[in-house]
Amino acid sequence: MCSKKKANFGALIAGVAMFALALTACGGSNASTSSPNGAGKTINVYFGADTTYGQQQQQWFNDVSAAFEKQTGAKVNFETYASANDELTKIQTSVVSNQGPDIYSLGTTFTPTAYSTGAFVKLTADAWNRIGGKNKFIPSTLGISGPDANNQIGIPFESRPFVMAYNTDLLAKAGIDKPATTWDRLGAQAKMLTGNGVYGMAVGYKDNFDPWKYIWAMDRQSGHALVNGKTAKLDDPATLKAYQTYFGWLTKDHVVDPASVGWTNPQALAAFASGKAAFFPMTTATSMNTLDKSAVKGKYKYALMPTVPPGATSAPSGGTPVASIISGDNIVVAQYSKNQDLDFAFIKLLTDDAQQKIRYNTFGQLPVNQATAKELETSNPALAPFVASAAASYATPFTGAWGNIQLALVNVVVQAIPSLANGSVSDTTLQSLLADAQKTAQDALSRSK
Amino acid sequence: MVTIIVVPILIALYMSVLGLDQYTLRQWLNAPFIGVGNYVEALTQSSLLKSFWISISFAVISTAATIPLGVGAAIATQNRFRGRAVVRSVFLIPYVLPSFVVATVWRTMFQPGGIIVNGLHSAGITSGLWLNGPKSYWTLIIVEIWASWPLIYLLVLSGLQSVDHEVHEAAALDGALWWSKLRYVIFPYLKGPLSLACIIAVLNHINNFTLPFVLFGVPAPRDVQTLPFLIYITSFQSFRFGLSTAMGFMSLILVAIPLFIYLRAVKLDTD
Amino acid sequence: MTASALPRASSATSRKAETRQDEVLRLLPNGLLVVVIGALCALVIVPLSYVIFASLNSDVGVARGEFFPSSFSWDSYVKIWTTVGLGRGIGNSLVVAGSTAVVSAAVATATAYVLVRFTFIGRVTILRSLLVQQSIPGTLMVLPVFVVFFSASTYLGITVIGTLWGLSITYLTFALPFSTWVMVTYLRGLPRVLEEAAQIDGATNLSILARIVLPLSWPGIVVSAIFAFLLGWNDVLFASVMTNSDTRTAAIALQIFGATQEGGALPLYGQMMAAALVCATPVVLLYLIFQRNLVGGLTAGAVK
Repeated sequence: MCSKKKANFGALIAGVAMFALALTACGGSNASTSSPNGAGKTINVYFGADTTYGQQQQQWFNDVSAAFEKQTGAKVNFETYASANDELTKIQTSVVSNQGPDIYSLGTTFTPTAYSTGAFVKLTADAWNRIGGKNKFIPSTLGISGPDANNQIGIPFESRPFVMAYNTDLLAKAGIDKPATTWDRLGAQAKMLTGNGVYGMAVGYKDNFDPWKYIWAMDRQSGHALVNGKTAKLDDPATLKAYQTYFGWLTKDHVVDPASVGWTNPQALAAFASGKAAFFPMTTATSMNTLDKSAVKGKYKYALMPTVPPGATSAPSGGTPVASIISGDNIVVAQYSKNQDLDFAFIKLLTDDAQQKIRYNTFGQLPVNQATAKELETSNPALAPFVASAAASYATPFTGAWGNIQLALVNVVVQAIPSLANGSVSDTTLQSLLADAQKTAQDALSRSK
Repeated sequence: MVTIIVVPILIALYMSVLGLDQYTLRQWLNAPFIGVGNYVEALTQSSLLKSFWISISFAVISTAATIPLGVGAAIATQNRFRGRAVVRSVFLIPYVLPSFVVATVWRTMFQPGGIIVNGLHSAGITSGLWLNGPKSYWTLIIVEIWASWPLIYLLVLSGLQSVDHEVHEAAALDGALWWSKLRYVIFPYLKGPLSLACIIAVLNHINNFTLPFVLFGVPAPRDVQTLPFLIYITSFQSFRFGLSTAMGFMSLILVAIPLFIYLRAVKLDTD
Repeated sequence: MTASALPRASSATSRKAETRQDEVLRLLPNGLLVVVIGALCALVIVPLSYVIFASLNSDVGVARGEFFPSSFSWDSYVKIWTTVGLGRGIGNSLVVAGSTAVVSAAVATATAYVLVRFTFIGRVTILRSLLVQQSIPGTLMVLPVFVVFFSASTYLGITVIGTLWGLSITYLTFALPFSTWVMVTYLRGLPRVLEEAAQIDGATNLSILARIVLPLSWPGIVVSAIFAFLLGWNDVLFASVMTNSDTRTAAIALQIFGATQEGGALPLYGQMMAAALVCATPVVLLYLIFQRNLVGGLTAGAVK
């Protein structure tokens, strides 16, 4: 194994990973495993249904199956799931019955949950070799593959880092040349942009997935950790400050539409798409699809979300400049799978340059393959914010309890919404909600194994 | 029926005494035996009882409100008129639309800036939040009523058909007014179907998971965390399968007790 | 033969007699009738028209909370056949829900007949336990039912999961208690006179059931079949774990399509509403066909 790579991977685990494109030199196809013979066999693959590109996805399923059959003689049978909930149900039934799909594609934040069931294959050096070598992947995408470098189950497949969209016309009119890099200044810019029926920001407070990502990011940026080993620390001043800032946009700064207390992310997107908001934080490359068909076509750009925590003017010492969670999809292989050679060969196919390019060109999913990423970045400068965000993406705590903690963080927002709608969330309300969340999180952590 | 009801119930019963969670699911038969631990936790440390009251009151209110609608619809379509077949089909539509479509539609209508809020606003009423806070409970009831009243309608309609024609004839000869005919002649015939409709409606409301789930999402506002919702979250979000099955059984018992009292009161199961 | 026994559906009946018949059956005065029907239709149609308009609107328009679309388009209705995979879904649903409806109505009628007309020990217990079944939360049963089904394939070599009949059997189990109760209440309302007369004539139980009870109980049978059908048609809980891409039901196809992914783009409201309406159409059509059977029973079949 290339020693430089190894050192770098250690550094990643320490939490200071970088978008180390330079590493490509040490990557390449050093894994020269021949394709296994899979004639007469079928592998079952479980994928999320693509709601935006349903037809293209079907076509891609056919194409990639054909390619794999040509290579190994084995057939690939794709199954799709509607939502994360459906997928969890499927994993649950498969785990209990010890049968089901061979390969699962999972949202990155579900990897810890999948890991905690112990039902998925821990990747050995040999397994990584069959996939084409660990170093063909962008290092930061491996950050949520397992609790540590020796216990990984998740193979990166696609990257969907979070960024912020902004309306270039509105910013130019207000004389702002580029979005701020601190939350405080972003709030100030948003204030300048608010007026005449336009709001500075579009935020979906009622969203079931996004609110915790703001809190987690601001918390990390200030140098605090929500989870420390088996201890939950949700009742910390840093966390309180994060919530205050997040709610403050509505209650103090008045830079978001009051209606947004009832919005989910798509509605915030719709507001931005109709030109009614200047900034739209917490979105991914998939929003391009909607925006390019909307009133703001050609008038918007993407940038990183601020990486300096609220109340600070520069990154505090000890803080981590997180721009996004490690977001996207990982692939895991079920332990009960009888054709693991074929599984790995198929994953190699999916993560090799050709398919990664197809995934980007057809579905707008960013590659996890270093070579592909580098090539795309050079040929398409518009991707720069996504690449930068991917490089500044950090893993959420790798514990089986994370699902519960995430839910507890969102629950604080959900239960605060009535007060939010009335114009203020008092500190006592917030503190009591945080105390509840802390209890839930701690209970879940104490139970974790 | 044995394989699909009895055996699974026994399996579930066994699961409910295990410390079954995401860590032990893979070898679930070997999960630690913790006896009534799950039941104790469900009663003392979870919001089971609160959810129970939410579910029961929600179910009773929804049922009570759907009765006049269903009975009215059945009585009104008793007579033939031009387009009756169409009207009858229209009445069925809310019941035919899949639950999550109904929930999605109403969610878009109730959201801030949606047509209901805007409509009320232009009428001079500030209605506030429908999908969060205390009012979410009433939102749930309104949508449930809209989606479920055809159940009562259908059962009453079939009940009306069993009214002997001679009864109608006799009432006509008596020259009974429409109201007294309904009250003294027709309604007694509907007692059986209507009592059944009430039970079924209450049980369906209590077990309705899709509607609150799609309408409010996870995590739900506290005011609408119904029993199936709580069980679902415990099972699929917290991965406490043992605890959630225990909750399931307790909800079953909590529902069965009022059920039997009711059965005795309306004498539905004896003649 | 009294006037009341005139077969209402008979084509020979004069229009005058028909009008009189209707007068006799009338339950509400005309004015009130119009009010009730008008109000109820409005109750259904107003939200429904929102769905229809949304299916013709642009997705951004729906998200903005428009009632009347700012731009009309039939696109959604064209696209859904390829994007949602609705054709196969509706086919599967018709098979599953249809078989559930037919079998459950048949079994329920027979069971109910036995429960109503014969007295035996445990009769009340059976009736009550049927209701208890009705109160079992579905979320409690998904995993155990799955365990039973996969055991069937492991130990008996019978594949159940992913088959349409497996799903149908599951729905049947959940539909039967309700269907049986509907039939019990219905049959109880029927007079025994006819059956007793037939019994005296020496008819067997089976022929009494076929010749007298069945024709009289069409409204009940149709209602219980409708409920069984709808149970299978609308379920997503069991179907989500027990179907694969070939046996997926319409409700699942629709849900898969409707579910927004984490960090996803704007939901395709238009196509979803269009798909929902298309899904509802077969059921409404079926109901239109069968609804004439909802009327009848005594008035149509009595041969006093």
